[in-house]
Order: sequence, then structure tokens, then C-alpha cells
Amino acid sequence: MIITSAKPLEEILTLLKDEDDIFIIGCNVCAAKLKTGGEPEVLEMIRQLEKNRKHVVGWALPTAACSVRSFDSLVQKNEKINEARCILVMGCGSGVSTVASVTEVPVFGSNDTLSLGGSSEGKLLSDQCIMCGKCTIGEFGGICPKSRCPKGLLNGPCGGAIDGMCEVNRENDCVWTLIYNRLNKIKRLDLLYTVHAPQEHRID
Amino acid sequence: MLFNLREKLNSSKFLVTAEVSPPRGTKFSVPLEDARQLKGIADAINVTDNQCSIMHMSSLAFSKLLLDEGHEPIMQLTCRDRNRIGLQSDLLGAYALGIRNICVMTGDFPSCGDHPGSKPVYDLDSVQLMQLVRKLDSGINFAGNNLDGGTSFCAGAVSGIDPEKPLQLIKLEKKVRCGADFIQTQAVYDVGMFEEFMEATSHLEVPVIAGLIPLKSLGMAEFMNKNISGIHVPEEIMFRIKDSPDPVEEGLSIASETIKELMKLSRGVHIMPVGSHKNTPRLLSMAGISGK
Repeated sequence: MIITSAKPLEEILTLLKDEDDIFIIGCNVCAAKLKTGGEPEVLEMIRQLEKNRKHVVGWALPTAACSVRSFDSLVQKNEKINEARCILVMGCGSGVSTVASVTEVPVFGSNDTLSLGGSSEGKLLSDQCIMCGKCTIGEFGGICPKSRCPKGLLNGPCGGAIDGMCEVNRENDCVWTLIYNRLNKIKRLDLLYTVHAPQEHRID
Repeated sequence: MLFNLREKLNSSKFLVTAEVSPPRGTKFSVPLEDARQLKGIADAINVTDNQCSIMHMSSLAFSKLLLDEGHEPIMQLTCRDRNRIGLQSDLLGAYALGIRNICVMTGDFPSCGDHPGSKPVYDLDSVQLMQLVRKLDSGINFAGNNLDGGTSFCAGAVSGIDPEKPLQLIKLEKKVRCGADFIQTQAVYDVGMFEEFMEATSHLEVPVIAGLIPLKSLGMAEFMNKNISGIHVPEEIMFRIKDSPDPVEEGLSIASETIKELMKLSRGVHIMPVGSHKNTPRLLSMAGISGK
């Protein structure tokens, strides 16, 4: 799941200050789950924009804002999009980009995209993966230090953790402590002795 | 007569290294004057690399200034600000300018310092940086291409001293396996703990230079216990500082006693005072170390 957070209304109004006749596109997958772009949030956004004297021409809720076949497929959902002079996408950055790739009017995003995460046992899990393209998560017991250590350290923790909590955010566990506990549990502490080569950032 | 750090590490001499910070501007006379107080008593001087993520003059430039004054600098190098290209080019530049000793470390996160929004690099970690140094030493760069003149660094790394932290001990082992010539540690207050650390790492056979930060006040001790990773000031030392009419003097007494204990356990001490080295010469003479 892509983790997003809704921008404050004032910021969205600033983005749209020179725009009108707005069409809103929500996202019925991640953003709906996170209440940043599902139907209730889209309807609330319409109320707020109209309260601030913006004209909203219509809205649509594709299954996923990041998976839009064509402009015509959006027209099929709501032909009012033809009247739009601007589109506000209530999804993640990928959703905004995808919509921009099939439309000819200015496109804005109402959310900040934070990380690739998940949810489990009612809890939101952020920064589960950085989509590095070279997955080695199995060598760390299924917990990725590239995403969950702010320094992305591959060969063990820095010296900054205090009582097992991260130097960068004292509310978070040092991910290396989690990796250690996990490898201990699955009896694979031997993996900690591997010297890992640096991540390759080459664009193939 | 021994001259450079590598020769001294190979000798039986108890070593003294000390930490100096480059200036936060282009005027360098004050830190240079501070370093002058260490002449004849410190075997080498560590030059910090934008410590605490607070922007200073580069450790490379200040190491060269120390070299020109006849000191033996250890240029500290963190992974925070440069990718593998930048790290290598600074290492080549440092070597060409005569800097022979380095100490590699991860580096504090930018959010700890005065430019909290700057991009954290960490292209390499400290283990990989040690590997990179050894590649340059063998005459090839990290990409495997031949260098037109390689390096021959005396390269150290850092470590915490808590024997109860297996992850730190494993990382230390990796640094040594990747070629660390020496280790400088976090500040030691609990000699018993340090002794256990030395036992737990004795198989690594690497010279360990024990860190030392003389206490100046009870508040400083409390702050470090709470906020600095890997530092443990035992209660007994807290009481001594608390009960003393002159905590700075008491801090020096405690530090000199610690040095005497460390002489039996480590290859040297690494002195990192808060502020200047004003008291360092006296501290060393209190500990019975009077110079080269």
C-alpha cells in the first residue's frame, strides 16, 4: 500500500488559487483505505472547495488512480471531465502522474506521498520497502534496513541508537534491533556476519 | 624514534590521540592554537568531519593545516555527505597532500545538526568505506579501474564498548575483517565494562584506543547518560562529581585514574574534551604520561 497523508486545505487552496472548473479524481485502493481519497473524502473536498468559491464540475472514483486506461475511460466514468479546466487527484504521486499522462489540463495532487507500506493488525506500517529494484530482504529476516534504517545501513547499526531506539526518531525501534531479534527467532544470526556490498543505484 | 601512527601502532608505546574540531569559518588560528597544546604529548590528532552534522571546515583541509604545523593528523571521514565518488576523490586528495591516517565512521544523521533538511547520502556504510579504502590502497578504485598512483592509509574505525550489544560487536568484527588498522572507542567511564568489551573482542587482534571525555559537571554526566549512545557513567563517578567542590578538577582526577587503568587494557587513549584541550597536558601528566 502507498502511504499518503492529506495536505492541509489551505495548501490545496494555494495550489488551486488560479484554477477553476475543477474535476476531482479519487482512488479506491490505497487512498480510500487511508481515508485520503475514497468517496467520503472526495465529497468532503467538493464541499470545502465550493465553500471557498471554487466550481467543481464533477468527480470520479476509478478503482486505482494509478491504473487508468485512457482519457476515454475517465469520460465513461463521468463525462463532466470534458468541462474540466483543472484536475485534482486524491491519490498518491503515482496516481497524479498517471492521470496527468492521459489528460491535457493542469493536474494537481491533494496528498503527500510518504512511503510504500502496509497495514497489519489494525496498525499502519510505513516505510516497508524503498523499491530499490535489488531485493535482498531475505538476508535480513524479512525486515528491510534499506527502507527502515534512515541511513539505509546494510552491515549493522550505527552507534546512535539509545536503548534500542533510533537516533533519528527516538519513537522508532532501531530496525537493526528488530532484525537481530527476528534472525535470533528464526535461528539465522549467522546472516549478520555477511559483509554486504553497497546498494547499486545504476539505472539499467 | 617513531614518527608516524602506523609505526607507533606497531610499537609497544601506550598511545595518546586527541580530537580537534575544524573551525566554523575560514579563520583557523584558534583550533590550530588548541592543537599546539598537544605538541609532544599526542601521538596523533583526530580531525572531526562535520561532527554532530554541524557544518565546519572540511576535515581534509584542517588535517592539512595540522600537517603543515608538524602534527600527525587522523582525518575522520563519515558516510553522511559524500557518495562513493566524492569519498574516493577526497581520499586521493588527502593522500596526495600527505595525510596518511584516516578514521571512518557512519556519521550522525543530518537532522541532528544545523542543516537538518540536507540530503543524507550514506551511499556506503562504514564497513563498505573500509573496503573502499583498502581498494585504493591496492591501486584500484571502487569500480575496479586502475589508479594512477594508489594510497597506503593507516585506517581506523570506531566502536561502542558495551559487551552486551552483540550487533555492535559483529559490526566491529566486520570492520576489522575489512582491514581496520585500529579502533577508537566511545568514551569509557566504566572500566569494568571496557575490560569485558576487550575480552569479548580479543580474538580480533586489533589495537584498541579507548575514548575518554573528562567530566566537567554533574549535568554533563547526566546528559551523556541520557542522550549519548554507548556512554555509561557509573553511579560511583556521579557521586564523586556531585560531592566535589570543584567538579572540573574532580573530572580530571577521575579521567587520570581511568587512563591508569586503561594502560593495562588498551593500546592507548583517545581524548575528546568538551571545549578546548586546555587541561589535556595536565590530565596526561596526572596520569603519568609526560610526552613522547
